[in-house]
Amino acid sequence: MHIMEGFLPWQWCLFWYLVSLPVVVYGVIQIKKITDKNPESKPLIAVSGAFMFVLSSLKLPSVTGSCSHPTGNGLGAVLFGPAVTSVLAVVTLVFQALLLAHGGITTLGANTFSMGIVGPVVAWIIYKACKNAGLSLSIGIFFAAFLGDLSTYVTTATQLSLAFPIPTFTEALIKFMIIFAFTQLPLAIAEGLLTVVIFDYIKKLRPDVLEKLEIFTAPKAIGGK
Amino acid sequence: MIENTLDNYAYTNSIKDANVSFKVLFAILTVIVCLVSTSPVIPLTITFLMLFLIIFLAKIPFKFYLKFLSIPFIFGFMTFIFMTVFFGISEPWFNIGIFNLAVYKDGLNLGFLVLARIMGCFSCLGFLVLTTPINEIFFLLERFRIPKIIIEIAMMMYRYIFVFLDESGKMYNSQQTRLGYSSLKNTYRSVALLASNLFIKTWSKGEQLYITMESRCYNGSIKTFEVQKSIDIENLFLLLSFEFLLLLGVYLTRGFKVI
Repeated sequence: MHIMEGFLPWQWCLFWYLVSLPVVVYGVIQIKKITDKNPESKPLIAVSGAFMFVLSSLKLPSVTGSCSHPTGNGLGAVLFGPAVTSVLAVVTLVFQALLLAHGGITTLGANTFSMGIVGPVVAWIIYKACKNAGLSLSIGIFFAAFLGDLSTYVTTATQLSLAFPIPTFTEALIKFMIIFAFTQLPLAIAEGLLTVVIFDYIKKLRPDVLEKLEIFTAPKAIGGK
Repeated sequence: MIENTLDNYAYTNSIKDANVSFKVLFAILTVIVCLVSTSPVIPLTITFLMLFLIIFLAKIPFKFYLKFLSIPFIFGFMTFIFMTVFFGISEPWFNIGIFNLAVYKDGLNLGFLVLARIMGCFSCLGFLVLTTPINEIFFLLERFRIPKIIIEIAMMMYRYIFVFLDESGKMYNSQQTRLGYSSLKNTYRSVALLASNLFIKTWSKGEQLYITMESRCYNGSIKTFEVQKSIDIENLFLLLSFEFLLLLGVYLTRGFKVI
C-alpha cells in the first residue's frame, strides 16, 4: 500500500502533495478547534497517533501466505473521524518513512491521499450509512474497515498507473489491480474481521472510552461539559 | 528492534553535531535531483556516494547499513522484474519460456530506472535518518511555519511510540509463551486481543499524561529549548555547486539506456 520513496516521477509527487494539502490543512484546523476547546484532548490525540503507528507494525498473516500489517484506517476513521485521522496519518507516515523505511518523503503526498484521505473518508461514510440503516455495529465496522482498505488499494493502483500509463492507463490499471486483488483482498477481509474483534473488546472492557470519544467526532457535544 | 537501533545511531553517529539545516537541505536537494533524473546513472552515483558518506563519515557499521538498504532493494528488485515482464510496448527482446512471458527492452529500461531511483532516494533518506535526531528535525520544521500543534502532537507521538512498541513486544511474548500464535485462528484472536488491550492502555496513558503535564503547569503548549544555527555562506555555496554538478550529470546522461 505504501508507495516507495523514489517510485513516482517528480510531477506526480508534486501533484499528490497539492491534492492532499487542503484536506490536511482542514484536519489541522479541526484539531486546533478541538484542542482549544478542551486541552486534555491533545495528549489523547497524540497517544492515539502512536497507537496507530504501533498497530501498523503488528504482523498479520494473510491467506496468500504473505505477511502484512493492519493499516488502522477503518479503526481510526470510526474512532476519531476522518479529519483527525488524516492529520494523524500524515504524522504516522512521516514516522514510518523515517523509522521503518515504509513509504517515503517524496511520496508522502500520494500516500497521504490514498491512506489518510480516501481510505478513512470511505470508511467513515460506510460506517455512518450502516448506522443510519439500522445495521448492527459489528456489520458497520466490518464493512467500514473492509471497504476503507479496498478503496485505499484502488487509489494506490490508480496512482501507480497514472504515473506509469504503459501501454495505456486502463491496461496498466488492470495489471496493478490484478496484483492487488491477489495480495490485498484477503488482507482487507482480515483487517475487517480484526477491527470488529478489536472494537468488541474495547466496548466490553472500557465502554466509557468510546463514550468519551464523542469529543473527536462531535465537537459541539462538549459545550455543556 | 530496527527502529530502536536507527534512533540510537541518529544520536551516536560521528556527524550528529553537524548543522541540522545543512544536513536536511543536502538530503532533500539530492532527493529532488534523484527524482528529476531520467537515466539511472545519477541515482546510482548518489546511492554509492551516500553509502560512502554514511559508512566513512558518519561511521555507521557497514553490516547495519546493508541490512537497512536490503528493504528497498528487495522491493525495488521485485518492481524491476514486474516492469521488465509486463511494461513493454515494443517487440519482445527474448522469451523466458514459462507462461508465455517475454522480456521487453523498454520495460527493462524503465524498471532499472525505477530501481535506481528507489535506491538513490532511499539512500538520501537513510543519510538523514541515520545522522539526524528526529527532535532536531522537529525544531527545523517549526521554522518552516508548520503549525505548532502538529509538532507538539508529533513529539508526544514519537515519545510514546517507543513506550508502546515495548509494551506490545511484552504482550506478544507472553501471548506466545501461552501458545497464542499456534494456529491461524489463535493468531487472529491474539492479535485482536493485543491491539484492543494496547488501545485501552494507550488511552489510560494519555489520560495520565495529561494529568502529569497539567500538574506541571501545562497550559496547552510545550516550551522547548532550541539552538538555531544557520548555514554559513561558504558551505551553502559548496552545497549548491555540488547539486549543480549532479544536475549537470542528469542533463548529460539524459539519453542513457541500459540496453
